[in-house]
Amino acid sequence: MSSHKNPGARNLFFVIIFAIVIFTLGAVLDPYNQGQLAVVSMLLIGVLSVTLLTGTSGQISLGQGALMAVGGYASALTILNLGLSMWLALAIAIIVSAMAGLLLGFAAARLTGPYLAGTTLVLALALPSLANRFESVFGGDVGLNVDFGNPPSWLISAFGEIGYEQWQLYATVPLTCLALLATANILSSRTGRMWRAIRDNESAASLMGVNVSTNKIFTFVVSSGFAGLSGALYGLRGIVGPSVYPISLSLLLLTGAILGGLRSIAGALIGSALVVFLPDFIDWATKPLALSEQIGNYLPGLIGGLLLLVTVVLNPGGISGALRRHK
Amino acid sequence: MNTLITTLFLGTTRGAVFALVALGLVLVWRGAGIVNFAQMGQAMFSTYVASTLIIKGYGYWFAFLIALVVGAILGAIVDLAVMRPLTRRSHAGILASESMRATVPVIASLGILGVLQSLAGMIWAAEERGFPTPVSDVAVKAFGKTAPFTKFDLFIIVVVALTLVVTTLFFKKTGMGLAMRATALNPEVARLSGIRISRVRTLSWAISGVASSLAGLLITPSANLSPNTLDLILIVGFTAAVVGGLDSLPGSVVGGFILGLLIAVINVYVSPDDVFLALLVFLLLVLILKPGGLFASKKVRNV
Repeated sequence: MSSHKNPGARNLFFVIIFAIVIFTLGAVLDPYNQGQLAVVSMLLIGVLSVTLLTGTSGQISLGQGALMAVGGYASALTILNLGLSMWLALAIAIIVSAMAGLLLGFAAARLTGPYLAGTTLVLALALPSLANRFESVFGGDVGLNVDFGNPPSWLISAFGEIGYEQWQLYATVPLTCLALLATANILSSRTGRMWRAIRDNESAASLMGVNVSTNKIFTFVVSSGFAGLSGALYGLRGIVGPSVYPISLSLLLLTGAILGGLRSIAGALIGSALVVFLPDFIDWATKPLALSEQIGNYLPGLIGGLLLLVTVVLNPGGISGALRRHK
Repeated sequence: MNTLITTLFLGTTRGAVFALVALGLVLVWRGAGIVNFAQMGQAMFSTYVASTLIIKGYGYWFAFLIALVVGAILGAIVDLAVMRPLTRRSHAGILASESMRATVPVIASLGILGVLQSLAGMIWAAEERGFPTPVSDVAVKAFGKTAPFTKFDLFIIVVVALTLVVTTLFFKKTGMGLAMRATALNPEVARLSGIRISRVRTLSWAISGVASSLAGLLITPSANLSPNTLDLILIVGFTAAVVGGLDSLPGSVVGGFILGLLIAVINVYVSPDDVFLALLVFLLLVLILKPGGLFASKKVRNV
């Protein structure tokens, strides 16, 4: 197959297809689903951070939501206090959260499995309390108000009137494409092979000359940068505050990555679409049953949890893993 | 001075509950090599069962016992339905790699937590409930002075002390306890000497379920009951277990009391907002300086 000879060109090809599909969908969907699709594109970047961290290098983090919050606050503070543009703020969000990932990585490189899971979970709980600790800066429980602003005039003159949800989507998709391209290139590069070697057998990897702890820290830096970008975009929908980045957000990213397939980009894509649209789908499918509000509220959580269990026990490769097996 | 004594008492009673949570985590970790993040979800579920029985008019003690039984059954179900099939397949596909074998059970336990919380939300609604105490929970008065603790605090201490004594006797004096210790020490050797280690594992999960349900029953009167209330207790229990070394039963108990006192001091003298920051700093310090726990023996362990 010629595609194996040049992974860079193949990756670019698939990302362009992705962009065309999303842009087309964005033009035909109603505003609600445009917004949902924008959330898929934002969370996809976060799920890719899990694909890199857990799927590729074998480190688990239950604190990706907290790193998203770091990115969100970094971009919001840049926009509100420095008056910089959204794009610069997003770049700063990536840098700040990558630095947070560096700090976390130093601690995390020494930990494995459950220790790492527990520590990152404590981090995810502890970090939001900073918002109240320094209320004058971070805005306490209320948070900070930011938004995507108005679409630039050249975009309107090219495509006609663009709604706010559509603009969210269009502003996010180029960044999602960059994230997809970066992930694909990391996975098919020497770095990706080193990370997989560490995941599969640390001692063997280190005997082959892979510097295990440096690479583990580097994975955390890259993955945190991704999470930070995802969180900054997620916050730009309106509010950056503790309630926007709860613990459940970290679990949502992990669930998406597992359900779709922890080890592939296709899996991340399927997974992020699944976690965003599943509640809508359940809502639609159970409408004829006229469920009580109490049951309806908890049904997505129940089905999500059951899917997660079924996946890890019966089909740990996720949807993309199963598709690949049947090819 | 008075504040200090109150703080110490608060820290001790809370610490007793954290010790139970840590004990539950360590039991499963030793038995099955898994940190069960669903543990307090199971405890929440059995506490809801007890609360429902009490609302239906049954007595506290009946509900108390049923909750412990439900805790044991839930623990066994988690092992039989999820964890045992998971470890059976542990050499296939994605689980073939070293790091994923440690990671996937964590993810599975989070799935169980999600299922239990959603089920509880569906069955018992989201509104918070109180939970009764078997004895008075107003401050004890003696010799005309108000003591810094309540009868319920004493009750907690007594129940936890009894539990620890029973657990110790179980591990030291019974054949099953010996089998569990052997399995924790070396599963292969235990299997070769005729111990059915999968049964021992299920028993570890069941006993851990009882310990955590007990913790749920004891902590809930001081915090309202809702599907998510016990999550934070799990985090504290996890930290306590790590402080104690994660595979030492006495260590986990001491860790529980240390955490109880630490949190009480932070709550009273610093600010309740800072509890989790302090927890994070403490956990990181322990993991970096003494990764085997504060009471680590000479054995070097990969954390």
